[in-house]
Amino acid sequence: MNHEDLLTDCESVINEMFARCARNAPNFGEIEECFKNSLKKTVQKYLSTASFETPTTKEITDFLQQIQADDLFLAMACANGNERAWWEFDQQHRAYLERVARHLARTEIDAQEVVDTVYVELYGTRVVDGERVSKFATYSGRGSLRGWLRTVIWHSLVDLHRASHDEVSLDEMTENVGESYTHASFANTNLGGEDEMIEQIAKDRYRKATLTAIENAFASLDNHEKLLLLYYHVEDLKLREIARMVENSASPLRDWFQRKSANRESNPDSRIHESTIMRWLEKSYAKVLKLFRTELRSIHNLSEEEVEICLELATQDLASPNLYRNLMTT
Amino acid sequence: MQKHEEVSSFTREAGTKMENKGLINSEDIQIQGLLDRYLHLQVSSKSVSLEEHLEEDSIAAFVEGNLLERETQPIIKHLVDCSFCRHVTSELVKLDFALADEEVMQVAVADEKPSRVSEVLNGLLSRIFGTTDGAVFAHHEKEEGTEKNENSEENKK
Repeated sequence: MNHEDLLTDCESVINEMFARCARNAPNFGEIEECFKNSLKKTVQKYLSTASFETPTTKEITDFLQQIQADDLFLAMACANGNERAWWEFDQQHRAYLERVARHLARTEIDAQEVVDTVYVELYGTRVVDGERVSKFATYSGRGSLRGWLRTVIWHSLVDLHRASHDEVSLDEMTENVGESYTHASFANTNLGGEDEMIEQIAKDRYRKATLTAIENAFASLDNHEKLLLLYYHVEDLKLREIARMVENSASPLRDWFQRKSANRESNPDSRIHESTIMRWLEKSYAKVLKLFRTELRSIHNLSEEEVEICLELATQDLASPNLYRNLMTT
Repeated sequence: MQKHEEVSSFTREAGTKMENKGLINSEDIQIQGLLDRYLHLQVSSKSVSLEEHLEEDSIAAFVEGNLLERETQPIIKHLVDCSFCRHVTSELVKLDFALADEEVMQVAVADEKPSRVSEVLNGLLSRIFGTTDGAVFAHHEKEEGTEKNENSEENKK
């Protein structure tokens, strides 16, 4: 079945969604066309994911039913400039927007400025082909409106900082917004006398092998395992925070990790605890360790004792930044 | 910086908990420390241009776990490579917890009259751009008292 046929098949579901939303909010004006077009656009985007086979009508129907229809309806009505919708939006979300902004921004002035800017963006002051372009038009309803709004606030804050710090890179900028920051720094190795230098050369050999092996071991992981490790180690997410990301039973991240779990089959909606995340991490560490050891033995021809030396290096400084840069360029 | 000082002994929560219970051995701690350092180095050496970043819509839905596997796979791949987007997603999760700890303000809605969006936005525009040009908002202005009265009735239902 081609994409056009699939969309036609889903027409009735889209109509039902619109009818339900219109009943819930009858004062939001004439937005039938833009609401339905938004849904169709979202379905088209879903269909166009190249690496997958064309979904069935049921899959598309399930997909549509996951959309936050009422939030989308409100967003489309606001995009259309409906007074009532804007009032509802203001009542429901302004306080939340302000809380998010105050939490993320460095100063109260920044927080107020970013909320003002977001409001203006949401309304849309830019006119293209005679039509005002509202930021709301980019909301698809795949997540909650609040979730989308806090992301918009985040990006606006980054833009605000960029505007005032032209010379700072985007990555540095994101580190200055919000709670955490990421830094990579390895202590420089202090070279002493001749003995220390010889020892240092030997160490450097193991260091180089260690870095290459850990790099390849990490590269061999599945993407969801890599992301889990990056969230935990680089972004400093706590176990409970990672658990929050997979608390939705339909979350693919959760699904991937639980594929082979008996609990998944017997109780697919069970709560994800911190201990579960810890187990996922442990599995990933075990995989990395196995790949790491295999590479050191088979590619670098190191003995068991030498592999242990490489592991010992984990408790010391692994390499100077220069060595790492050299590794990256070879 | 504080994070890195911790790395040599690997004292993150999981490691500490497991170590205290005798559940992990020194080899596990070593590989975790090694991985920790490697990941920080890797992140500092990568950069992705702005055009390649994820849309806000995708980021928000991903953080809420609302995407299907078909949609998520390319997003996860992007998040592995793009520290900017990954940082945004992690900060949004942290924000959730931080806000949950704060008191939720209850907004009294029932008795409040709807304010016109044009008034709100004109106020913002005048602060931001130094203009009070109301023409932008004129297209949907209706008579005061008609729609609002209807709306408040509807709202009560």
